[in-house]
Amino acid sequence: MMEEKIKNIMASVFGCETSEIVDSSSPDTLENWDSLRHMNLIVALEEEFNLNFTEDETMEMLNYKLISIVISDKLSVKK
Amino acid sequence: MIDLKYSEILKLNKQLGLALQEEQFKVTVLANIITHQLNEIFEYTLRTENINAVVRSGDYDNIVQDAAKFNDSDLIIIFWEAANLIDGLQYKANLMDDAAIELFVSKTCTEIDFALASLQSTSQIVFNKFSSIVFTNNNIKKNKFDIICNKLNAFLEKKQQRNLLLIDIENIIASVSVQKSVDFRFYYSSKALYTIEFYKKYVSHIKNVIFSSKGKSKKALIFDCDNTLWKGILGEDGFDKIEMSGKSKNGVLFEEIQSMAVDLSKKGILIGLCSKNNAEDVENVINHHTDMIIRNEHISIKKINWDDKVSNLKTIAKELNIGLDSLVFIDDSDFELGFIKSLLPEVTLIKVPTNLYEYPSLVRENLSLFYSNSESAEDAKRTELYKQEVLRADEQKTFDNIENYLQSLQLAITIFLNPTNLIPRLSQLTQKTNQFNLTTKRYSEADISKFMNSNDFINVAFEVADKYGDAGVVGICILALNKENKTASIDSFLMSCRVIGRNIETAFLNFLLKYLEDIGIEIVEAQYIRTLKNSQVGDFYNKHGFECVHDSENEKRFKLKLADYKENKITYIKINDGREN
Repeated sequence: MMEEKIKNIMASVFGCETSEIVDSSSPDTLENWDSLRHMNLIVALEEEFNLNFTEDETMEMLNYKLISIVISDKLSVKK
Repeated sequence: MIDLKYSEILKLNKQLGLALQEEQFKVTVLANIITHQLNEIFEYTLRTENINAVVRSGDYDNIVQDAAKFNDSDLIIIFWEAANLIDGLQYKANLMDDAAIELFVSKTCTEIDFALASLQSTSQIVFNKFSSIVFTNNNIKKNKFDIICNKLNAFLEKKQQRNLLLIDIENIIASVSVQKSVDFRFYYSSKALYTIEFYKKYVSHIKNVIFSSKGKSKKALIFDCDNTLWKGILGEDGFDKIEMSGKSKNGVLFEEIQSMAVDLSKKGILIGLCSKNNAEDVENVINHHTDMIIRNEHISIKKINWDDKVSNLKTIAKELNIGLDSLVFIDDSDFELGFIKSLLPEVTLIKVPTNLYEYPSLVRENLSLFYSNSESAEDAKRTELYKQEVLRADEQKTFDNIENYLQSLQLAITIFLNPTNLIPRLSQLTQKTNQFNLTTKRYSEADISKFMNSNDFINVAFEVADKYGDAGVVGICILALNKENKTASIDSFLMSCRVIGRNIETAFLNFLLKYLEDIGIEIVEAQYIRTLKNSQVGDFYNKHGFECVHDSENEKRFKLKLADYKENKITYIKINDGREN
């Protein structure tokens, strides 16, 4: 469920198909993942999961796998 | 749009972008901060209204140079963020002495002048006023950063540039809250200051400026009566029991609503009534109830009967000669509103809230639907004009033949050539006229004044009067001349729908063609561009003897040799030459 939501958001933000998003998807492999769209990704994820990322977290979240780890960590703390 | 998540907006915007075929509406955002998140939110909002917007950003912190580069945009939005005029102005300002502040302000004003000068010919500039509020809202006294912003705003407010619209960005920040408007995390790392929530509010704030320029703003506000204009049901509670004054707890809310309606009518918005009631009972209230604020002079149309409201709203639109999509209707009944929504989805509906104290603010929030870029002298007269229209319609019924009726009206048109004093009105006519409009080209005041200053164009406007009154300036024709080839082409030919049906267009065309012949023109070219609303003029040129040289689904092109023109003389319309006055 969480994975699917993240992939959908990444697809909307980067204008690609969800099937293109894999664990290693990163600014190096996705054409549209530049620094401005990274900001879009962060705010879209914050909106979706009702979270606030710290600046350090936003800088860590640089591939799909890392993004899902940061989010699931934060969600478990929240519970 | 306000309720959608950002990722949903991105996704829907992409789909809409692929579906729209209309001509592009080019928007450029010039900024000294990063504002890219505005672009897709704005695109999406305009695209849902079938405006094929394409929003791009200029280069970061390059406003003056980019103003020259992008001045062909249909709209320029300027985010000149005070805190980033120089990096860290919000704290550096307080270390400056007075002389340094003066110097800084005058240097910035020069830059603003440069940018605005490059944008003289752009249709519309939306310029956010300078604001320090994000950094200084906790201060009790003004600091130097506030003072710099005030000085810059005073300079902006003195600018007389027709296409410049200043936006009080602090109103938008206030409606979102300072805290939710900005994200300092991205400001210090990337110079991106504002949040998605801010941009959504910003877009819903300024979108009406574009809707107005595209002829999409609302023109009439129609009220049900019971529990909409007053508290209570006239037919049950009676004349003495309905409430609409500050003397009672609920009445005060309706006093506010009625006062807003009167104010709107003075600004040229048409006010109407559509109510299931006995007409004479409602008339009695309008004429004799001491608490009524809305009187007949403010009301353009009334449909008070027991017919269904869908038919009545259709008749209202027809009699006022405006589209159903120009109507806003307020009612307290879910049943009525549901019925209208299912059959007339174009009508904008407002439900009187269950918590009555929310009613005035709900109406206030919707006032921007009526926003008009240019207000002119005709606006204030409009209620009166439409009422004359209804009188004429009544009299028309008593004549068995329309020619006899027209004879009796004592019609006169007055012609004005390149009237520079009418630029706001002429621009407004191009933006608002949908039905009797051959090419539906929308022009800003800047566009019209460009035509006026060019030797290759002639703008011919006309005013109509009859024995009932003066309808004001209601039509314009813009002619492009090619004197070498002795050819003129009709770029725009349009007339307000309130004077349709009197053969005024024929009398005006006769005048134009005669005039063109007098200045040595031999061939006149014309064009009809089909829209959803102008089918009634599809055969206008055919009927007047123009030869159709091209006929496709969306467009017809015509040619006329002036020597061949057979004038259909309209003897009962007197033509005055406005130049003689």
